[in-house]
Amino acid sequence: MLTLERVTKRFGGLTAVREVSLEVRTGDLLGIIGPNGAGKTTLFHLISGYYAPDEGRVVFDGQDITGQPAHAISRLGLTRTFQIVKPFGNLSVLDNVMIGALTRRASTREARGDAERVIDLCGLGPHATARARALPLALRKRLEVARALATQPRLLLLDEVMAGLNPTELAAMVDLVRRLHGEGLTLIVIEHVMAAMMRLAQRIVMLHHGEKIAEGTPREITSDRRVIDAYLGEEFVLAEA
Amino acid sequence: MVRAVGRHRGALLVFGVAALVPVFVRDAYFLDSLVLILLWGALSAAWNVAGGYAGQVSIGHAAFFGIGAYSAALMGTRFHQSPWLGMLVGVALSLVAGAAIGYLSNRLRGPYFALSTIAFSQVLLIVASRWRAFTSGSEGIPVPFRPGFATLGLSHVAWVYMALAVAVLYWAIQVWLEHSRFGYRLAGVREDEDAAQALGIPARRLKVIAVTASAALTSVCGTLWAQYVGFVDPFYVFSVDLSVRFALNAIIGGMGTALGPFLGSILITSLETYLRATLSGVKSGFTGIYLIVYGVVLILVVRFFPDGLAGLADRLRARRARAQA
Repeated sequence: MLTLERVTKRFGGLTAVREVSLEVRTGDLLGIIGPNGAGKTTLFHLISGYYAPDEGRVVFDGQDITGQPAHAISRLGLTRTFQIVKPFGNLSVLDNVMIGALTRRASTREARGDAERVIDLCGLGPHATARARALPLALRKRLEVARALATQPRLLLLDEVMAGLNPTELAAMVDLVRRLHGEGLTLIVIEHVMAAMMRLAQRIVMLHHGEKIAEGTPREITSDRRVIDAYLGEEFVLAEA
Repeated sequence: MVRAVGRHRGALLVFGVAALVPVFVRDAYFLDSLVLILLWGALSAAWNVAGGYAGQVSIGHAAFFGIGAYSAALMGTRFHQSPWLGMLVGVALSLVAGAAIGYLSNRLRGPYFALSTIAFSQVLLIVASRWRAFTSGSEGIPVPFRPGFATLGLSHVAWVYMALAVAVLYWAIQVWLEHSRFGYRLAGVREDEDAAQALGIPARRLKVIAVTASAALTSVCGTLWAQYVGFVDPFYVFSVDLSVRFALNAIIGGMGTALGPFLGSILITSLETYLRATLSGVKSGFTGIYLIVYGVVLILVVRFFPDGLAGLADRLRARRARAQA
């Protein structure tokens, strides 16, 4: 469904992403891990069209989308959330999600119907009329997901939607992501919360200094020496054992 | 239908009263104030399409106002054409200018967009005041009064209804913006451009459309104003003061609300007219003091009613609803 071919992005002298290749198949749930500054979010920017790669190609559903603008890529069915949530702060939760739904709908009435269904799915029902900026972080993260879902993506990129959540909120978010995956959505997930990642991802890619240094099942990744040295540390391995 | 009337009570009241005034009042001074309230309100509504609904805050909209004013005045005096044709020429020029500035300043956000619009209006001021052979330069152009609808030589009462028609039309355009697919997506662009793009919204294109439409609407009012007042002065029609007035009416009334620009215009225009009449003049020794009072009122409104007068009305309505519940 998505193929990255040796994608590279430089900022001046810094190479944020270096020759990363990836293959995501329909129905996959791919996790991306790595220390801060490893290039995870930059990679999302490259896939979703916020940055154009300096080298390499991005292919979505057999179509070369390298360098295409973000809105065009989103229309093709590939959308993303933002690590630092970007709600439409002055609008209600319903209006936020409706704006997403209007990408596939010509009429506001149909879009409202779609939005209400997505809001219920994401557990935002009781907050539908609240102003987005008034929501606590956990709900703003969920709104971020709901709004993206309303565009009916086939591939959804989630950028740290679990960061900063308490254990209850985290469990709810894990459930939501699982349910979406269960319904056939293909996902790429950036996450620092390893416990959640272990339960969710089928495959995990580790980025370090902009390079892909490991890829495999969660079990393979957590026993990979380079991953432990660069990211997880010995404590994690001991805790898992 | 009943619900629609209920939701637009405020607009019905404002425009209904304006429509009834000429039936009972024939005082020229009063009618003149009413025409200006409606015209300034419509101009702020035009500004609001870009500034309030798209978040493209311009402080150079006098550029489009001036284009409209000059187009009609020049078509009349130089080419002996109807001001209606001048209005069309003004709209055409403003569409081009609006699209150009919208496109060129597309990557600019926040204050940089506002600054680029100021620069644009200043460039037009220089052109209009220096190109003496065509625009009569800084002397300005007197617009001849020729009675009749075709030449826009109207009576005071007719001008009230002309301004009212434009005001209601512009109000309706804003209401449409609040309920249409285009308007929803534009609100998304205003709130967060990056997020909007992730949802498949061509943010830049929508901003250019909004600025272009706003420019054309502003130009129409510029033409009407020139025909109504009868004189086009480059230092007035392209002034930053004028651009600020368009923005301030909307900010005070409530940005991104359909009625806000008109509420702002009612407050500011009547306040200014009143202060100018009572406090200025050489004899009173308070020349220009109206500007100070004007400034204080602005500060108070912005400090205590950050959502504008329309926001205040909403809050009062919500409080009453809570009290009843």
